[in-house]
Amino acid sequence: MNQELNVEIMPSATPTLSALPLRLADFDTLASALDYAAQGESGANFYAGSGKLATVLPYKTLRNQAQTLAKRLLSFPLERGARVAIVAETNPDFLRFFFACQYAGLVPVALPAVIHIGGHKAYVNQLNGLLKGCRASLAVSSSQLLPFLTEAAEGLGLQFANAASAFDELPLKDITLQPSGPNETAYLQYTSGSTGFPRGVIITQESVMANLLASGHGLDVRVDDRLVSWLPFYHDMGLVGCLLAPMASQRSIDYLDTRDFAMRPRRWLELLSSSRGTISFSPPFGYALCVRRLRPEDIAQYDLSAWRVAGIGAEPIHVELTDRFCELLAPAGFKATSFVPSYGMAETSLALSFAPLGTGVVVDWLDSDDLADNFIATKVSPNTGSSFVRCGPILPKHEVLILDEQGKTLAEMQIGRINVRGPSIMSGYFELPEQTQLVLSADGWLDTGDLGYLVDGQIVVTGRHKDMLIINGRNIWPQDIEAIATRQPELRSVDASAVSVPGPEQEEIAVLIVQCNITDADEQHLLTQRLHREIHEELGINCTIELVPRHTLPRTSSGKLSRSGARKGYLLRQKTQSEADLELTSKKA
Amino acid sequence: MTEYDRILADLIKGLAPFTNGKTVTENTELVGDLDLDSLKIMELLLFVEDSFDISIPVSILPDVKTVGDLAKQVEKILGNA
Repeated sequence: MNQELNVEIMPSATPTLSALPLRLADFDTLASALDYAAQGESGANFYAGSGKLATVLPYKTLRNQAQTLAKRLLSFPLERGARVAIVAETNPDFLRFFFACQYAGLVPVALPAVIHIGGHKAYVNQLNGLLKGCRASLAVSSSQLLPFLTEAAEGLGLQFANAASAFDELPLKDITLQPSGPNETAYLQYTSGSTGFPRGVIITQESVMANLLASGHGLDVRVDDRLVSWLPFYHDMGLVGCLLAPMASQRSIDYLDTRDFAMRPRRWLELLSSSRGTISFSPPFGYALCVRRLRPEDIAQYDLSAWRVAGIGAEPIHVELTDRFCELLAPAGFKATSFVPSYGMAETSLALSFAPLGTGVVVDWLDSDDLADNFIATKVSPNTGSSFVRCGPILPKHEVLILDEQGKTLAEMQIGRINVRGPSIMSGYFELPEQTQLVLSADGWLDTGDLGYLVDGQIVVTGRHKDMLIINGRNIWPQDIEAIATRQPELRSVDASAVSVPGPEQEEIAVLIVQCNITDADEQHLLTQRLHREIHEELGINCTIELVPRHTLPRTSSGKLSRSGARKGYLLRQKTQSEADLELTSKKA
Repeated sequence: MTEYDRILADLIKGLAPFTNGKTVTENTELVGDLDLDSLKIMELLLFVEDSFDISIPVSILPDVKTVGDLAKQVEKILGNA
């Protein structure tokens, strides 16, 4: 991979310790942060699926390459802040283009590089929607993915959409570079999930630097820290947490490709062992994948004793999982106190809170009825009721309020909407003023879309008031699933509700409830199969399809379909069904 | 037996843990018929990479629907190696 790149192939990874004095992201822009990091020896290292080190990219080299590329990008007549879309594979080119934009005063936009089996059309549509949404002037991908990018860019009037290598053929513009300044946009971050209505989060240099600074202190980043990551760069945790954060604090990082991790999750633990990684983040899904694939004989080969920050966040954290992970990997030196439950989102650059270091996963056990009926967090004895994980206090210089439906501030242990304010918050969604107004108040408060409460000043997330589904660590919007249903010729626009229900191992399972007049069993089977396939091609998830007669799906008072009502109905039918099955079994016996 | 037939036979054998006893032919759809979710697809790709000693580029997946499509891609990759 990447042989076509003009990247120095070096025999060994960049060092962990560096003679350059540690500065914890106290810079005004990403470009000035890279200027400083480039004075040291640290950098980014890319590992191939085989586990071998494929490419080494010291920050010094990255800076030189990015500045040269910046001059090539500026050979096009681009207004300042023009968007450059980068199909974000885990390779040195992503870093090169991202930082070329920083030096050129352009705005990079990471596009997803995840393609599902059979998902050609869906992927092209997704790219097309994103290129349109950010009004990209330039777009770049690997030569491997170029056919998809070319197809997606057709008719959009981009100045140039090509493989990374083609950009290196462009002439150098003879100018002095004017890097993106503190008040300018550092990047656009598309929130994961929705293909139907993509929203690009605008993050300024000031915002991202404020977040990196607060996070660097929150994690107590030190001279002997080294990061390891398999998270994709089009995800906020991958981009900000695992690319910008190490660069802004001059730490080395070792990258695994996301798909290589998904295929061989043990590589993550191998790499953490061999490189003595100290900081690595993952959604719970990544830890679960390791637990699932670990073989007892592997464990003795790992040495995870250096791993002091095992960040976990981005989806609900279940203590059963973290307990299991600790239990399995304790013999390899993993410490339960290394877990750092974290809370954040693209709209706040990344982090909002980290659990205090060294405490591990602290759980509140709550009375389930009080929670559901009275929105009150009432503590009960451990291992009874519902469990929620404390995600730590809000970062310094940021504020958090828990509000009820009327906007009244709630006391600790009362559950409401989590609202936050502070320097890390986005400026808005790119060219979507109505969407921005829905979540961002005039005085700077962001409605996170999450429900939760405060306890001893720590944030605990209990759920979401938006309808998003989180399946295998990915955000899926019900609207996207429903749109696939309602475009089928035999269905109408009000015939589908998508919800998530708990699965056998507490994971979320996507369910699509479809109402129709089809009674023929063969036709029902064909429709179910088609829906299942198309949802997988576009969204990469398995979705349970339930067909029900028309007029089954409940509506709200305003006549809209009620997803929560549809969910209740589904769960009730499942319960009735399993009771009937049980009765049948006992009768037979 | 052609190269393609041999690859197909190996694939069908390798698919056994994922099929719940369903009959698999070259026209069987990985997602539509076998219900493979993204994690199972990853396990299948791991099996294919390891047993044929190849690396599957991410760019071929979007145009793979059936077991036969996958066999053709494996054949192509082996031919280029």
